[in-house]
Amino acid sequence: MNRQIRDAFPYIVFGVALLAVLWAISFGTLPKADFTFNNGDEVKTVDPPKATGVPEGRIINAIFEGLYRNHPDGMEFDDEGNITQFPTPEADGNVPMKLVPAMAESYELSEDGKTYTFKIRKEAAWSNGEPVTAHDFVWSWRRMLHPETASRYAYQLTLYVEGAHKFNSSEVDVGDRVEVELNDRPDPEQTFPHGTMSRGVVRQIGQPPKPDLDGIKDKNKRSDKELEWKDQWVFVVEIKPEIDGEIDWQQRGELKAFSRKLTEDLAKFEFQRVPEKDAESEATSNRETTNVTDAETDAGSDFSEVEFTGEVETIRNLLFDFDSQVGIRAKDDQTLVVQLMNRTPFFLDLVAFYPLYPVNRTCIEEHGVPKWTKPENLVCNGPFKVEFRRIRDRLRLVRNPHYWNKKVVRLDIVDALAIQSETTSLNMYLNGQIEWTTNLPVSIMPELKKREDFYGSPSLICYFYRLNVNKPPLDDIHVRRALNMSIDKQLICDTVTQAGEQPARSVVPPGLPGYTPQFCNLFDIEMAKAELAKSKYAREGKRMPKIEIVYNTLERHRDIAEVIQQQWKNNLGLDVGLVNMEWQSYLDTMHMQKYSVARAGWVGDYPDPNTFLDMWITDGDNNETGWSSPAYDKLIAKAAQETDGEKRLRIMEQAEAILMDEQPIVPIYYYFRTNMVHQDVKGFYPNIQDLHPLHLLRVER
Amino acid sequence: MTLLWFLGKRFLWLVATLWIIFTVCFFLMRAVPGGPYSDERSMPPAIERNLKIKFKLNDPLYKQYSDYLLDVAKLDLRPSYKNEDFTVNEIIAQGFPVSASLGIFSLVFAVALGMSAGVVSAVRRHSVYDVGMMVLATVGIAVPNFVLASLAVIVVVFQLHLVPAGGWGSVRQIILPSLCLAAPFAAYIARLTRAGMMEVLSRDYIRTAYAKGLSERRVIMRHALRGAILPVVSYLGPATAGILTGSLVLERIFLLPGMGSHFIDAAFNRDYTLATGMVLVYTVLLFVMNTLVDISYAVIDPRVKLAER
Repeated sequence: MNRQIRDAFPYIVFGVALLAVLWAISFGTLPKADFTFNNGDEVKTVDPPKATGVPEGRIINAIFEGLYRNHPDGMEFDDEGNITQFPTPEADGNVPMKLVPAMAESYELSEDGKTYTFKIRKEAAWSNGEPVTAHDFVWSWRRMLHPETASRYAYQLTLYVEGAHKFNSSEVDVGDRVEVELNDRPDPEQTFPHGTMSRGVVRQIGQPPKPDLDGIKDKNKRSDKELEWKDQWVFVVEIKPEIDGEIDWQQRGELKAFSRKLTEDLAKFEFQRVPEKDAESEATSNRETTNVTDAETDAGSDFSEVEFTGEVETIRNLLFDFDSQVGIRAKDDQTLVVQLMNRTPFFLDLVAFYPLYPVNRTCIEEHGVPKWTKPENLVCNGPFKVEFRRIRDRLRLVRNPHYWNKKVVRLDIVDALAIQSETTSLNMYLNGQIEWTTNLPVSIMPELKKREDFYGSPSLICYFYRLNVNKPPLDDIHVRRALNMSIDKQLICDTVTQAGEQPARSVVPPGLPGYTPQFCNLFDIEMAKAELAKSKYAREGKRMPKIEIVYNTLERHRDIAEVIQQQWKNNLGLDVGLVNMEWQSYLDTMHMQKYSVARAGWVGDYPDPNTFLDMWITDGDNNETGWSSPAYDKLIAKAAQETDGEKRLRIMEQAEAILMDEQPIVPIYYYFRTNMVHQDVKGFYPNIQDLHPLHLLRVER
Repeated sequence: MTLLWFLGKRFLWLVATLWIIFTVCFFLMRAVPGGPYSDERSMPPAIERNLKIKFKLNDPLYKQYSDYLLDVAKLDLRPSYKNEDFTVNEIIAQGFPVSASLGIFSLVFAVALGMSAGVVSAVRRHSVYDVGMMVLATVGIAVPNFVLASLAVIVVVFQLHLVPAGGWGSVRQIILPSLCLAAPFAAYIARLTRAGMMEVLSRDYIRTAYAKGLSERRVIMRHALRGAILPVVSYLGPATAGILTGSLVLERIFLLPGMGSHFIDAAFNRDYTLATGMVLVYTVLLFVMNTLVDISYAVIDPRVKLAER
């Protein structure tokens, strides 16, 4: 190393450091937003059917719009979009919400309550100026239901809309109309645009020998194996001729055989033909389905007798025919018809929930997933559009000039910050950097509650403990009741949560119109002891097995679990342990039902008791307690069929009464939503769903 | 030539290290319970399977491993599992400049503050400055940066109203977090410099320098500091590592959109691709910084030969 370098070295280092510092401070300055708020976390995606969380919901509600929308009831506007009337909060601080027409200007409901006809408003437009039509909704819902989209909210349609379940689960039976997608997509990774589609009727289904599924203990592995097996089925389909883009179902077509996954040695298998109608037993769904269009009159049913000898073609998808069999149709550009299986009084709430918002077909087909969500590509239809996204920093919204109701929008630039730390969020709020903060630190809640800009009000969330009824001693109903009665829930609300929460005695939070929550027993130590004495453990003098409370890592959950542990110990003399788990392990433990007691919370998806009750049916996806009651299942099914709204709620109440009597769950408290909003922000109203439409807010400085 | 040989060897080591880390990371992630598709609501098995196919978790493990390794070798870190709208490359591209700015500021602060304090302490031995600064340095090492950050927010933000409470986008917002991040390292560097200076100042050649009639400033800056700086330079490698990892906490406290919070969240969310990407990027960063330190060591100290390092 020569001397010059050595002598110059300190200067080189200094120079490099100086350059680095200069680079580090070379910020572009941003124009200040009109309104900045803490969105709580990073927005994982703005793709409506793929999103799941609350932060995502706030942004999607701002940039997209469904057929209907939740507005504070009693908020009125004049022609210029000025607020002429302000809502009045109820005693609990909440303002009731009302569904108002959004992309739809009105709807008609058929007499039997099963057919909704939405009229899309003429002035509804995408952010590129093109009109939003009924066809956009059909395509968006089709995309949401498509199995490859794997939308977690697919059940919002599959449970209620005719044919949607079959399409979503890719189940087909002999005699069904199907759509076949060949393996020739322009981009195999993208579901849209599709490969070549042909449509026809399934005439035969060949299955390789069924693997031994009962031998597999693990639930997940078993269903994986079963699905793998189903992928190997061969479908003999009568492909119907297509004339001018229309399928003529009455014409005889030509037979072709397809399989999703065809391995070579599969050809050696003996394929058995599934006789017509007998296929019913294969369908896991026990739901009654009446086809939208009667497929049984389709010509060519004699094809099921023909011995098929041609080649088997590998295909991408074979699905229940969406266009003719799923109850979602566009009559014309302005008319959307939705055919439901049963009367669903909360269907409007479902269409006002973000998974069912429309997305732009051209945009998605051109850019693909996830590139279409990039701000420069994104075409949306809500009051705002995305200007840029800086991950972990901010998502900037700007006004959408093509929004049909732009006159009510007053904010030009809105910034959504992803502040995870409650303390940081509060600091920035107090320091004037943000105007609305959602997550408040519990430790200083009593102080914050005194402030004028603090809003705390009941919400549609219940905090409860799941009791695994297959784990002793929780298999005994008396033990479960005793556990509930020996918890002083008021104490938890007063000393742990502290925002004004109410102790819970039901799983459905109070405040849903027309519904009276059914209560479990009150806190009563003597009664609890008496109940415990009735249990088989006390009667037979057996030792009570140890109970473990599983909770996910959060200070509040730990504090509550500690209080409950102490009370079960002191009041009942039970041996109680605490198990802290990080989120993913906790989820795994819950899904596998490897716990005895587990903390949980449930957020109502729509303001109807059904969202809290239908999950507890036998083997329900979110039951996870192992609890099963035939009477309960029957009531939930009956409520779904009931056409009279009043009667339906009474049936729901009966169901909840059973649940609260047998207690596979112990309700602890009803959540409070806490918000702090600057006083110069107008149009912010606490409500039970904690929905705060950004486009209705105004800042008056 | 030696330099090129040295860099080439280092590069090969880097590739080997990355491959091992990738492999460990890949299998460790899949050994813990849960997965990127787990959610509070359980879902029908058919949907779960489609998600697995989307996340490429449906293939046999060896195939998942080789496919993924091939993509990573092509510098494609794949889309993030949880932040569905972004690829891992995009997330790193957005977070890296922030983390780098924060790191550069902290490093500059740590070196500038630490060395000046160390030199002053050593030269004015046992004076008020010396004692005061060494007490400060001891406290600086002992107090964790998140405690310091909380105190700093109370005093600087809420009492003095000098800087905003958090966020990113201006020089004012970078000063407080980088100072908090730099503090323990500045303290350590101060002590190293002081000890180094004390040793060098008692050497014969320093006495000779003074005897030649050089000014004190010239003796210290030109002759003493060069010898005293060596331990500081070798500490810069570990200090960079410390600053990189220390920023995980501070990014949360000051709402800085750097890479640190992704590191934590990716692990909690089982965001396999993002977590792997983060680990690999941090590995490269540390490797590069250590190599730079080694090179500068050789430049400063003629006795050190690169080839031996």
